[in-house]
Formats: sequence, structure tokens, C-alpha cells
Amino acid sequence: MATETAVHGPTGTDGADIRKTAMWGFLGSECLFFGSFIATFLLYSDETNGGPGTEVFDIPFTSVSSFVLLMSSLTMVLAHNAYERDDNRQLRIWLVATALLGTVFLGGQVFEFTTFYAEGLRMDVSPFGSAFFVLTGFHGAHVAVGVLMLTSMIILSRRGQLYRHRGMNVELVGLYWHFVDIVWIVIFTVVYLLQV
Amino acid sequence: MSTTEHATTGQPTTEHPPHPSVKRYWQIALFLGVVTAIEVAIAYIPDLDRTVLTVGLVGLGIIKFGSVVGWFMHLRFENKTMNRLFAIGLVLALGLFFIVLATFSGILSS
Amino acid sequence: MATLTPEATEVQEPDEHGSRGGLWSWITTVDHKRIGLMYGGTAMFFFLLGGIEALFIRLQLAVPDGTVLTSDQYNQLFTMHGTTMVFLVIMPLAAAFGNYLIPIMIGARDVAFPRMNAMSFWVFLFGGIFLSSSFFLGGFPDGGWFGYAPLSTQSEVIRMDFWALGLLILGIASLAGAVNFTTTIFTMRAPGMTMFKMPVFVWMQLVVAFLLLFSLPVITVALFEVFFDRNFGTLFYDPAAGGDPILYQHLFWLFGHPEVYILILPSMGIVSEVLPVFSRKPLFGYQFVVFAGAAIALLGFGVWAHHMFTSGLGPVAESAFSLTTMFIAVPTGIKIFNWLGTTWGGKISLKTPMLFALGFIAMFTIGGLSGVTHSVVPADTQQTDSYYVVAHFHYVLFGGAMFGIFAGVYYWWPKISGRYLSEALGKWHFWLMLLGFNLTFAPQHWLGLWGMARRTAVYPPDIGLETLNMVSTIGAFLIAVSMLPFLYAMLTNHRKGEPAPADAWDGRTLEWSVSSPPPHHNFHEVPTVEAIDDFWHRKYGEDEEGRAVRIATIPEPERFTDAYIHLPSPSYYPIMLAAGLVLAAYGFLFGPIGIPLLIVGALVLFGGIFGWAQEDPDHPMGDHDDHHGGHDDHEAETGPVEDEAGAAEGETAGDPEAAEVVEGEDA
Repeated sequence: MATETAVHGPTGTDGADIRKTAMWGFLGSECLFFGSFIATFLLYSDETNGGPGTEVFDIPFTSVSSFVLLMSSLTMVLAHNAYERDDNRQLRIWLVATALLGTVFLGGQVFEFTTFYAEGLRMDVSPFGSAFFVLTGFHGAHVAVGVLMLTSMIILSRRGQLYRHRGMNVELVGLYWHFVDIVWIVIFTVVYLLQV
Repeated sequence: MSTTEHATTGQPTTEHPPHPSVKRYWQIALFLGVVTAIEVAIAYIPDLDRTVLTVGLVGLGIIKFGSVVGWFMHLRFENKTMNRLFAIGLVLALGLFFIVLATFSGILSS
Repeated sequence: MATLTPEATEVQEPDEHGSRGGLWSWITTVDHKRIGLMYGGTAMFFFLLGGIEALFIRLQLAVPDGTVLTSDQYNQLFTMHGTTMVFLVIMPLAAAFGNYLIPIMIGARDVAFPRMNAMSFWVFLFGGIFLSSSFFLGGFPDGGWFGYAPLSTQSEVIRMDFWALGLLILGIASLAGAVNFTTTIFTMRAPGMTMFKMPVFVWMQLVVAFLLLFSLPVITVALFEVFFDRNFGTLFYDPAAGGDPILYQHLFWLFGHPEVYILILPSMGIVSEVLPVFSRKPLFGYQFVVFAGAAIALLGFGVWAHHMFTSGLGPVAESAFSLTTMFIAVPTGIKIFNWLGTTWGGKISLKTPMLFALGFIAMFTIGGLSGVTHSVVPADTQQTDSYYVVAHFHYVLFGGAMFGIFAGVYYWWPKISGRYLSEALGKWHFWLMLLGFNLTFAPQHWLGLWGMARRTAVYPPDIGLETLNMVSTIGAFLIAVSMLPFLYAMLTNHRKGEPAPADAWDGRTLEWSVSSPPPHHNFHEVPTVEAIDDFWHRKYGEDEEGRAVRIATIPEPERFTDAYIHLPSPSYYPIMLAAGLVLAAYGFLFGPIGIPLLIVGALVLFGGIFGWAQEDPDHPMGDHDDHHGGHDDHEAETGPVEDEAGAAEGETAGDPEAAEVVEGEDA
């Protein structure tokens, strides 16, 4: 029996933050979640059941909102950088920017959904509609959860309760946020650009 | 047997590997923006061969995906465990749904 | 926010069971051992329910044109029997063993995320109650345990809503558990315990966690699509609108086949621990058993379509999946031969755990062989949806998984309670169960090949099915009888059980080095591991002929009741979150009148999440540089980011020299 103790805490015996290992496992799992929805969409991309198809897509509009989400990844990584440097002013500025960009993206999605409904593309009209709305809807729900987490980060940071080694921290929220962004990179290519 | 894929066990590696600078982040973001613009432009080229379009867009998408994962999510600086956890999910998602869609397409029926 | 105050989490003296009494302490516990026990107890209760459902099915089928049940009742019972046994019995029993044993076997003090672990259990418990309560609220689900669309999307009553929503809820529990186990095994092993010095049981749990991690999201999507079709008018599986039910089959079996290995691998792990101890030999070909487990997991993702051979995949796909299905028999066979090799030439002691382990090998081999016959497409076309399939998967899941689980129960019970389960009653249990099991399911091979279809409530007389159906029913009741000695032994164990030493079976792995029951903090000193079966090598060396020779006697470990080791504080937020989730699910199912319940549930859920996020899980009495298992969140030593000193503090958490144990409660 040796007396050397195990290195536990947020750092596991493999030298890495255990929460990050968990988060990457979760994100690996999420790949199959979105993969299933994207596969469903690809199968049904022509099953319009007499309703509208991909011609209702507004590529310029979606390109702008994709760009907005892409740039939110930049602001997120700058927030994380400020967090690493313990620069709380910068941290909050970039967190607020990220949350705002996310909200703009969500607003764009609401506008897009409303327009599509007006044009007759609904989720109860065709398998294509079902697959489109449920896929992008679940992505939007992920963005919304991300915005909530960012907001809590901002509030906790203001109150001086943003502990580095406890619970979710800026880095973990960042990983989640970037993941939501890369899912959108795939959706933008596969669901929008390749279908028109 | 003591050989293991996790040779780091018991020997904590540097907890904070060097991270890219702020400048590098801006450069990557600029790059991502340009790639997105190229993607949209390609989609609007009239009468572009469908295969070229698909290969081009998928290729550019992979570049964007990789940049965000590698740099913004700094996976390239993380340990093997994290890299593998994500890689398995990604490879399974691509592989399994490729096969599923192939069975529907009829290319496996004849 | 109601964070726990220092007073509320006053140092609690662990009693001899490593526990602090009272119902509240169980409700708020984050101790992996207690969570494991609760998992086990709950799953055993559902085992009883699922067993009763099975007895009704067998009563109905005992004679031709059975009148015990209506067709509707029969549909409900076979659906719930399958759903219960898979999702509420075998999966949680595996989680029970994993919870109790993984941290002790790898030399850790808890799992990586103790509160998330508690949440997994409560979500499982409430999800199971939710699913079963459908009986009183319109009837059990009735679309089969795999809920094929469009049958599952078209029935009018809410039965299949209970099924889809119930499984979605249970999926949350399993996914959180899988993330927890993966992280625990990768990051919290004791010093020196490399991956290839881990017990095989831990390896198999890791493989299972991987399978869960990557297959659960797929069924989650399938269930969402069914649920949306039923409730929001989507057309995923409506063929009239262009939807394709075959997609559902793909998504279900992309999960469903890995699920088969999720159910069987924990038992393979248990057997791989039991056989060496009762043969007094190391496991034959440790690396082969480990690699075979990993290979099964990998191939397990590539065989799903053999469940769909009759759905018209086309000859190329059918041939490919036929081949992968044949291939998967290879790693399975490797394991079987390694287990046999382990017993070969060993000093075999036929105690109850060993009997169940040997029973596992025999029954699982039969089930495995009938499984290989499914890989042959023409044969499978005949066998699909017949009793042959029913016989096959019961040999794998009952003859395999459940025999393995009972081996584990008899093997580790002395560690859990400090007393052996009765050998005499255990032998009655084993032989009655083995006999009853084979009487029930062996005849079903013939019934199926003679054309008896599964899921039909009646069969006509005079087509030669009577005798074997009667035999099968008698067997089922014999299985029920075999549970009586087990239950009796369990219930009287605390009085009549023979006291067991800490090292109850002359064991090989770390859990036998701690007291029985293990102390709350598992290890007084975190062990350093040098070899596979490290604990065995502390006791035995080898003489010139390679025979094991006793080199040391390990004294009975102290109970360390006065040791105070910083462990995560109890929390009621996990149960609150789980309760809110399930209340909201009930509210959702009952439409307009359920809306208040939905709102209350959502509020409780969010209250749980916010309370959780703000709770200080650190024991306020803990001095700030101790290190212990279990930490989503316990590092209060690092100041808020606001503090200028934050950067320096970030490093303290990794300090391996930090004091570990503080003796005495006034520390």
C-alpha cells in the first residue's frame, strides 16, 4: 500500500479536467442525435406530398443568419480567452455579445419558420416539412438552451459566483456552444445549400 | 500487461496546454467568413455540375467544421480520450447513416 | 436560493454500514453504494412485476383457445413484459452493479459526478413508475416493446404515448449514467491502475457505457418522431403521405442491437470475475476477453439490419448483414472458450455464484448458437416473428443476462451486507431456476419452427402445439417458485446469514480489500495498483512449479468509523429535478386538464436545475486541500473569478501531495 494519493478533483488521474471528458462524451453522443435527424431529412427531402419543397428556402437570408451564428463562435472563444486571463470585464462583454448573436439567430429562425408557414410549408403537410421543422427546431432548442446558459454565466460572473472548478464553467458552456455552431455548419450545407 | 493506450495515467500532463492567441482567433473567424461566402457563391453558379457542387460544398463544410472543432473547441490540444470520444460519435454518425440511406437508395438492392 | 447551510450538513458519523440513517438521508444521498442498492432494489421490484406479466401470458397460452385474457389485455401484457424486463430490470440491474462496484474496483471514492448519479436513479425510478402507471390511466402500452410504426403512431388512446415518453425519460437516466461511468473509468482510476490492469467487469461496464452513449441518441430520435407523429401531426411514418416506416425500423434497431450487448455485457463482466475466484486461477486470456468485448461492441453497431431481413432490404444489404452477424459470433466464441479455459485445471469450488456463472455459460451458448442461425437469411425468413425467436432471446437475456446477474448477487452480497446468502437456499434457487427456465424456453424452439407465431393471443387446437405449450407454462411457474428461496434468503439474511469476512471468497480485486460493508469513503488510503488482480498478488506468490503460495495474510480491514473524509454533501435537487420532469410528462399527456400539472412540473424541474447549479456541494467542514472521489463541483478552494488570485489557485486542485485523510471529526 503506497501512500501516494490519487489526483482527483476537477483534474482526473489522466491529467485533464474530468468535466471536459464528460462533455466531449456527451457531444460525441449528440453527433448521433443530429445525425439521425439529418438522415431523416435526407430521406424525406423529396417527399413533399404535394406541398412546397426546397424552393421556399431563402438562401441569402439563411446565409446571413449562418454567418451570425458562426461569428458567435468567435465571440465565445474570445470570452473563453478572457476567462483564462481572468479578465472579467472582457469576459462579460464577449459573453453578452455571444448571447446576443445567438438571440439574433433564433429571431431569424422564428422569422424563417413564420414565412415558411405562410407559404404553405408546415410540419403536418409532408414528411419533408416534418423532417425540416423538427431538425431545425431541435437545433434551435439547443441554441436557446445555450443562450440560457450564457445568460446564467453573465449573471453569476456579475455576482462574483462564477467558480472555475465547480459545475459548468465558461469553457464547458463554450464547448456546447461551438458544437451547436458546427451542427449548423452541417445543416447549412446539407439541408440548405445542397438542396437548392 | 501494462502497455496501454492511456500511457498518461498517473502522470498528469500540463493542465493548460498553450492556447492560440486572440489574433489567431480573429484570423480563423475571418477565414470562416470567407469560406462561407465562397460556399454561397458556389451555390449560385449557374449550370454547375452537380457532382462538382456537392464535392465543393461538402469539402468547404468539412474545412469549417474542422476549424471550429480544432481551434475554437481546442480539441487538437486535448488528450486522446476526448479526441476519441468525439471521433467515435462522428464516425458512427457518418458511417451508419450512410449505410441506412444507401439501403433506401436502391444501390444495394440489385 | 436554498443552498445547504453549514449547519445542515454537519459532519455525519457513518455507522457500521457506512451510512447515516433515516429516509431523508437516502433521498438526498449521492453515495454511489446507496444509489447502487436503490437501483438494485427498484429493478428487483420491476422484475417481480415483469414476471407476473409473463405468468399471465403463459396462463393464456397454456391451452389452445385460451380465455384467461382478451386479445387487448394480451397485447398490453406482452408489450409491458418486454419493455419492463429490458428497460426497468436488466439495464438498471447492470447500473446497480456498476454503481456499487466500479468506484471500489478502480480504487476511487465515488463516481465522477455524484449528484448526476443520484439524478440518474431518480429519473429511472420515476420514469419506471410513469410507464407502469399507464395501467391505471387507459391501459398498458400495446404496440410491442419495439413499437413499430405505424402501429405505434396510429392507435388512438394514449397508451403508446406513455411508452414513447416513458422511454425518452428513461433514456435521460441511462445517458447521464453512461457519461458518468465513462468519465469515472477514464479519469478516476487509482495510481498504477492502467486500462489493462482494470478488472474485466469494469472493462465491460465501460464498453456498455460507450454503447449507451452512441446508441441512445438514435432511439431518442425515433421516439421523438413517433411522439410528434402522434401529438403534433407530423408525417414521419405515414406511408399515405410518403413517410417510410422502414426508417423507424432502422432507427430502432440501430439502437436495438447495441442494446442487446448493453444487456449481456455486464453479465459477461460478472462471470469473468466469478469464474477465476471459484477456480482459483487467473482469468484465461485477459486481453482476449477485453478485446473480444470491445470487438462485440464495435461489430454490434454493424448488424442491426438482421432484425429487418423480411422488410425487403435487397440481396446486397442482406448478404452484408448476414456476414457481419456471423462474424460477431467470433468474439463471442472467444469469450466462451476463455471462460472454459479459466476453469480448466482449476480448483473448482461449486458455490452458488459459481453455479450461476457456469449456468450462464451453458445457457448463453445455446442462445448464442440459435442466434447464429438468424444470420442465414432464408432460415431467418422462416423464423421471424415465431416462437423460435422468443426462445432465442430468452436464452440470451434470461439464461444469459439474468443468470449472470444472480451470479453477481450471490458473489457480492457478502460485501454489501457482511453476511453470506444461504448456500443451501442458493442451490435450490439455482437448480429450480435452471430446470424451470429450460422447461419454459427449450420447447419454444420447436413451437416456433412448427409455425407458432409470437404475439398471438390464441392458437387453435389439434395442430400439435398443445403439449409443448403446457410444458412451457409449467416451466414458467417453476421459475416463479425458484424465486421463493432467493427471496427468503434475502429477507432473512440480516438474521440468519453466516457472517462473512471482508475477503469473503479469497478474492482477487480491490473491493475485497475493504471492510464489508465498505466504509462510506471506500478507501482509507487510496491504493496503488501494480498488477491485474492486485489484491490477489498481495496475498499469493508462486513457487517453482508456478503454484500459488500464500505469502501474506491480510488482516481484517478496520471500519474507520472515526475517519472523516471529505465527501460530497447530500442534495435533494436530483430528486426534485426528476420529479419535476415526470410531473411535466403526466401534465403533457393529459391535454388541457393537465396543463396546470405541466406548469407545476416545469417549475419544479427548473427549480431543481437552478438550485443544483447554485448549490455548494462542498462540505463546509472540509479543509480546502483534500481530494476525494466525486467532483462535478466540489472545488470551493478556487475563488470566484472576480478574485485577482484566481490564476494561481487554478493549480492547487492538481496537487498530488495534498493531505488525503483527516483523522477525527474535529479536523
